[in-house]
Amino acid sequence: MFGGGHKVKVSDELYERIVKYAKLAGYSSVDEFVLHALEKQLAQLEEAQSDEDIKEKLKGLGYLG
Amino acid sequence: MTAPRSRHLAIAVLALAVLGVLGVVRQSRRASQVPTVDEALASPAAAQTSGARFDRVIVLGIDGVDHGLLQAWMDEGLLPNFRRLAGMGDFRPLRTSMPPQSPVAWSNFITGMDSGGHGIFDFIHRDPRTLLPFSSMSEVKPPAATIKVLGVKLPSHINLPGSDYLLPLASGTTENLRQGKPFWQTLGEHGVPTVIHRAPVNFPPVEARQGRALSGMGTPDMQGTLGTYAFYTDNPPPGYESFSGGKIFPVDVYHGKVQARLYGPPNDFKDYDRIQRRTGVKVAYQERKASMPFTVYVDDENPVAKVVIDGKEVLVEEGAFSPWVEVDFHLLPMPGIIRWAWHDLIGVTGMVRFYLKSTHPDFGLYVTPVQISPMHPALPISSPEGYAAELAETIGPFYTQGLPEDTKALDRDIFNNDDFMKQAGLVVDDEKRMAQYELERFRNGFLFLYYSVIDQIGHAMWRTMRGEETHPAHHPGVDDPYVNVYVDIYQELDAMVGRALEHVDDRTCLIVMSDHGFSSWRRAFDLNRWLLDHGYLALKPGVAPTSVSYLQGVDWNNTRLYGIGINGLYVNQLGRERYGIVPPGPQKSELLREVAAKLAAVVDPVTGQRPILKVFLNEEIYSGPLAEKGPDAQIGYNRGYRASDECAVGEVTDAVLSDNTRRWSGDHCQDYREVPGVILANIPIRKPDPALTDLAPSILTLFGVPVPEVMKGTPVF
Repeated sequence: MFGGGHKVKVSDELYERIVKYAKLAGYSSVDEFVLHALEKQLAQLEEAQSDEDIKEKLKGLGYLG
Repeated sequence: MTAPRSRHLAIAVLALAVLGVLGVVRQSRRASQVPTVDEALASPAAAQTSGARFDRVIVLGIDGVDHGLLQAWMDEGLLPNFRRLAGMGDFRPLRTSMPPQSPVAWSNFITGMDSGGHGIFDFIHRDPRTLLPFSSMSEVKPPAATIKVLGVKLPSHINLPGSDYLLPLASGTTENLRQGKPFWQTLGEHGVPTVIHRAPVNFPPVEARQGRALSGMGTPDMQGTLGTYAFYTDNPPPGYESFSGGKIFPVDVYHGKVQARLYGPPNDFKDYDRIQRRTGVKVAYQERKASMPFTVYVDDENPVAKVVIDGKEVLVEEGAFSPWVEVDFHLLPMPGIIRWAWHDLIGVTGMVRFYLKSTHPDFGLYVTPVQISPMHPALPISSPEGYAAELAETIGPFYTQGLPEDTKALDRDIFNNDDFMKQAGLVVDDEKRMAQYELERFRNGFLFLYYSVIDQIGHAMWRTMRGEETHPAHHPGVDDPYVNVYVDIYQELDAMVGRALEHVDDRTCLIVMSDHGFSSWRRAFDLNRWLLDHGYLALKPGVAPTSVSYLQGVDWNNTRLYGIGINGLYVNQLGRERYGIVPPGPQKSELLREVAAKLAAVVDPVTGQRPILKVFLNEEIYSGPLAEKGPDAQIGYNRGYRASDECAVGEVTDAVLSDNTRRWSGDHCQDYREVPGVILANIPIRKPDPALTDLAPSILTLFGVPVPEVMKGTPVF
């Protein structure tokens, strides 16, 4: 389903929902919608990881003001 | 964080009988072959191996004892017990690690190897794939998305229908990131019982046959951080939202009553995605933690308050710490009886002390970072697991967080000098009680006792010492009354050496050692700013240097070098870093040689001194399979200098050199030749230039145990 030779299996029920919302949201293809959704989710996770979690874990170190 | 993770709920029900039976069989078989720790420690012959010189070896590991200061104060007659020990045997400088940072230095001690063998290069490492920094000592990981039970893949969480909660079925993991085998494991394999108290970089503590261990530096608080205090006040200081190492909570005092919440571990039982979908609002980071409401009743007339939390009442006087209070954080809303019965599965216990800073006119209540309770540990802080509770039952509760002295609260004026010294005194008291208990029951084998307080008071109070009147952080009047606190704490430790000497006889070797020395820290060097100014580091168009955070904003396509960690300098290497551009090989070597020469030639226009004495290339100082994981070079700062705080976490400031005005005014993350530690023993030291890596082989040899080939050091006695 994705470029680059990597495939992901999804259930029929999930796939139907993906198709439905890809159309509703105006994406040109299911692939485009899925890639966008994944990128967005990853960016959120990466931001949370870098900004809050990492800062909080390191800043308890007295060496850093 | 993890008691629930440390249990396997559903599979436990299925597997309990089988595993339980197996466990009993295994336990009973072991019990018949191997003596218990108590039996081994009590048996006069237990520690003897052929070729052993001593039945008992005691090491007092005192973080941060400086060779120059110790010598001077011994000469002045201020430290009679150190002097007595030196007179019985020897006293020498002890070569430290490069960089001389505690996790690196203690790992050298523990493994007998340098960083190339144990993999700890700095307090802060970076992931070359994400270019993000992380704590080098230990990691607490959440459970994986799926788990396998009898070969069947299952999700690691079950959604509780119609609710915002999840039920985790798998445990997360806690991982000690130090590699290499601690020498006391080798001792255990040769039948020598061991007791290891608060050794740094030993969380979770490694198991040793016939061994007890309590974890030390690197042990997180219940929030998974290296220590996050809370301060509740009706007059929050300016800029409090960005304070690090602590959270300031503005509160109202209404009719003498304050209502607030104490935040504990992240609550993994909540389905934040579902909450976000349902409400359309992202759940704030702070609100992802379990919390406990509490109420403070402030006395109208007297400087005293009553704290009511988790069904307990605690009276606190102004300027005094409360006793430890255990707090049960409930992660799932359950009726009382189920909550009680299932506490270990759906709740975690933490422990705090309250410090009433002031009642009038401003209200201020400090709460320690939420500690892992030694009575009910949510994470593995001891080995065997019950050892922490056994200690707490005998000597009372104690700090379990790795470095408990709250220098962060002092740095931000939440504590003044007096508050800080009171709090550090609590840590000294813990150390004394632990030492006394273990020394009195120690019969045979190896005993290690760690002391953090000289190091932490050195960092925090250096500015108050005689000779530091021109330190940028010295405030006459405020600091002058504390001029003797550092020598006083050396004298406290001298008394502890005296107590250990009472247990020394002709079958006992006593070693007192430190991991590094100390120096003033007056000027901060921003390596990333220097790299930016000299064209080695570039920023993306439109990015202001001071907006760079955690290396975000760096233009990696045009960056050849970057700094992260307190001493680390890295090449943006092709094939290793995510956006690497410098090929490994001659081009990289040439770049490093060039920058090393330039950095060592920098002169501080304010002092006329060189901030950097030498840049040590990786291959000069490290050997072993993990050397390539470390920085490409380590900066050897001059005495009085250190990397800026900002540079250490990948930020850029607006000046290469600046005054250090923090109360954290002493440091040792410098050129290792400038800050040697110490070694004293009741026997002669034969090696002319003893080093930290020599101690593990030395202790093994004292017990007649062969030294593993991987160890780099050699025996000193």
